[in-house]
Amino acid sequence: MNYFFALLGSGLAVGAIYGLVAIGFAIIYRATRVINFALGEMMMLNAYIAHTIGVHTALGFWGLVPVVIVVSVLLGLVIEFVLIRPMIGEPTISIVMMTVGLAVFIRSLVVLVWGAAPLEFSASPGDIVLSLGPVRLYLAQAIAIGLLLAIMAGFAVFYRYTRSGIAMRAAANDETVALLMGIDVRRIYALAWVLAASTAGLAGLLISTIYELGPDMSAFGLRGFPATILGGLDAVGGSAAGGFIIGILENLGEGYVGRGLKEIIGFVIILVVLMIRPFGLFGTRNVERV
Amino acid sequence: MRAGHFKQSYLELVALTDSGAVKAWTAMLLVGCMALPWVASSYVLALATTILITAIGVVGLNLLTGVCGLISLGHAGFLAIGAYTAAVLAVDYAVPIIPGIICGGLLAAALSLLVGIPSLRLKGLYLAITTLAFTIIVTHSILNLDWLTRGSAGLSLPAADLLGISLAGKVSFYYFSLAACVLFVAAAMNVMRSRIGRAFVAIRDHDIAAEMMGINLVAYKLMAFALSAFFTGAAGALAAYQVRYINVDSFAVLVSIEALAMIIVGGLGSIAGAILGTIFMSLLPEFTRWLFDALGSGLTETFSTRALEVRGLIYGVVIMTVLRVQPDGLIGLWRDAKRLWSNWPFRY
Repeated sequence: MNYFFALLGSGLAVGAIYGLVAIGFAIIYRATRVINFALGEMMMLNAYIAHTIGVHTALGFWGLVPVVIVVSVLLGLVIEFVLIRPMIGEPTISIVMMTVGLAVFIRSLVVLVWGAAPLEFSASPGDIVLSLGPVRLYLAQAIAIGLLLAIMAGFAVFYRYTRSGIAMRAAANDETVALLMGIDVRRIYALAWVLAASTAGLAGLLISTIYELGPDMSAFGLRGFPATILGGLDAVGGSAAGGFIIGILENLGEGYVGRGLKEIIGFVIILVVLMIRPFGLFGTRNVERV
Repeated sequence: MRAGHFKQSYLELVALTDSGAVKAWTAMLLVGCMALPWVASSYVLALATTILITAIGVVGLNLLTGVCGLISLGHAGFLAIGAYTAAVLAVDYAVPIIPGIICGGLLAAALSLLVGIPSLRLKGLYLAITTLAFTIIVTHSILNLDWLTRGSAGLSLPAADLLGISLAGKVSFYYFSLAACVLFVAAAMNVMRSRIGRAFVAIRDHDIAAEMMGINLVAYKLMAFALSAFFTGAAGALAAYQVRYINVDSFAVLVSIEALAMIIVGGLGSIAGAILGTIFMSLLPEFTRWLFDALGSGLTETFSTRALEVRGLIYGVVIMTVLRVQPDGLIGLWRDAKRLWSNWPFRY
């Protein structure tokens, strides 16, 4: 039974990270109907920048949190302004390919600048082990779970009660009508990219403390996909829940069924979800069939 | 002055080309390709063979992404399936090269239906996601199915021979690849001018209108996907025979993105564009290396130690620049030049 709870604990933690990445996908998809294939790479670039700043200023984990947020806001704004905004009105395939190009670019850039070997990430919130009943978690893992829950709640409030959140939903619903109602759709798009970059940036910081900081980190971006598909591509809270489910399933599958399952179980889930319930567990039902 | 180029019968419309100049150029290109082994060094010949094989896969991807408008990020998976099918058949069952290539293509096409059926019933970007998932499933399965694929150790292929002629040499394999490439390109051109190709274009341009015209969307999308997978699987099998050693690492997601970069740079939806893009993108890393060598900068070392990353950087920049500046690709440049030439001194 202890084995089960150990698997559950690490599953919850990795699930929280997937959830943070998945939220990033969902925010951008919901606002702009584009899947940002560069999210994992943006997350990685952010973590590397945070690492460099951390090394030079000796900031601890909590000191790096605002740094990461500032860096991701800048990164999100620059990418949106330089690459995505000029593409508004182009076919979706072009915009998606733009993000794919960006992903390749950032991944190569990171390896060229920081090298291919994983880096030592010293800023850690501490090695305290928390016990939640039978489940034991490191502090960083607990922070990941807590952060995800907080961000989920935050987005629920944001979309429901704030001016920008309602504007974002309006723009997602119908761009033209939103424009006619006086909503600055371009600003809403930029906001979506900034928010997505920030959640991904925080995920990047957590990944570098819990696991390691290396070029393989961008794979977390890829592995956040199953979470967002399972939860619903346009459901922000649902994507977070999807993250937990995928994280736990991956760990249990690896622990009880066999080697090699961890990497692919999420992608098998994608295929199954698309066959049975293409809009995900919590997404809106209007996925168009051909 | 002639006001335009008009086609008056259906046969004229579907002909591969009605222009004598195009026929002459094509013949000259073929003769040039045939003569290449006499003038080129063995490095250039190997590069040319790679380009020919890559062109097959890229033309296949172009049928799906450029002509039918469906993005696939998973063609590395089909390439891997084709390569491993041919390799396993050759090593374990001593199957000759041509059946090996056909089996590679067919298996890739069959497995593509497994991915295509769930994702092509939906609109939008679902195919991009599932194909990405598919590549990862394929590479991990290859790694873990040790008894069939030798896992991470990779597989070495024996030299192929065709009707008693050995294909072990660079020159003979070059001719074989050239023949395969011509065959596949001709097949793709014939698909494009037929009912099927027109249906693909109709689906890309407006799927609802296409459905109203009586095109079965699911069937034609699946057909595009399977056809494209067949081309890519066959290219994978050929590549396996060229390198004579395959390993999962050669089929990373970056390969799919390289192929997409090639069709974007060349021009989406055009076979000539796909080939131009393949040539351009294959020569670009060579050209940049040569340029930096010539400039004598300190970057030469970076190029040799970090070749993969430099390639990735170049590909990323080229994809973004082309999408931003010249969305029609190289073939669009060519069309603009041609229009300017024939309409001059008028704008249009």
